[in-house]
Amino acid sequence: MKKIPRRDKLKIYGDLLMILNDQSKTEKIILTQVQVRMGVPFDRLKNYISDLSELDLIDEISLKLTEKGKQYLIEYAKVLDFMKHMGLAYQ
Amino acid sequence: MYDPTIRTVVEVVSAILCFILLRFMIKPYKLTGEGRYLGLPLGFGFLGVSYILGAIAFSNTIFSFRQLAYLQLFARTFAYCFLVVTYYFSKKPAEDSRIKWDITLSLLIVGLAASIVTAIIIPQFAVDSYQATQVYVRSFNIICLIYISIHTLRSHIEKPDPMTIWIPFGFILLGISQYSLLIWAIDESILAFNGALVLRLAALTIFLLVSYTTFNKSNKKVV
Repeated sequence: MKKIPRRDKLKIYGDLLMILNDQSKTEKIILTQVQVRMGVPFDRLKNYISDLSELDLIDEISLKLTEKGKQYLIEYAKVLDFMKHMGLAYQ
Repeated sequence: MYDPTIRTVVEVVSAILCFILLRFMIKPYKLTGEGRYLGLPLGFGFLGVSYILGAIAFSNTIFSFRQLAYLQLFARTFAYCFLVVTYYFSKKPAEDSRIKWDITLSLLIVGLAASIVTAIIIPQFAVDSYQATQVYVRSFNIICLIYISIHTLRSHIEKPDPMTIWIPFGFILLGISQYSLLIWAIDESILAFNGALVLRLAALTIFLLVSYTTFNKSNKKVV
């Protein structure tokens, strides 16, 4: 079985925001699909979602990204891209 | 013909490029807060400082230029050391490498301080051994750059992307530039010297273009 490297909180939040952003293009965000893509237990996913909503990065009800969340995700994706281009791994 | 003015201009331009690059290189550290990514801005920062020292040393305006030349040599070597340790630790899981990174960074800073003190307090050492030191230090720099080139090339092979090939290419150019300077130090070939300056500028321009393209692409393409 492929070993999944441990992720720190920042990476988890970044990944979750990316998945929620992807899912928001569909009609409704389905949490089980998010959970499968994230690879975390459901109770922990709920905690991460409430953390993100406390930080005002996502809307608590629709789970869609707020403007602040979108801005954060843009910066996050750009830095990850830059690290990839520089040949640096982030795990 | 060796022209100190051209050299000074190239050193100043290189320093400016490095300081612009510093703005981009600090972003991974600012986002992740991981100490192991600090080597990237430190590396390019020291590279910029070494070019500034080089510009002063080789403009022949300061009496103790040999001492400064010695310092620029060491600043450049430590710049490459910072880059090597960053690439080395970037592949390791964060929680395992934190202490090792802190120890390595501390050792590098102690080494840097010791070499600066040696050059300033014992100037005879810096003056007498410059030529020999240059050969050893540049050889060490080439080894560092070979390591970084292999590391970045491997990353490109693992996840091929048209942009990821440019960074190993840039480091290879920097490595050839150091090799050319080594040849110049040994047999004073002007062709090797001029080639080294051109290659260095080309490498730094590649880094800048990759950084600029990454951070200035349309937001719609990102999310």
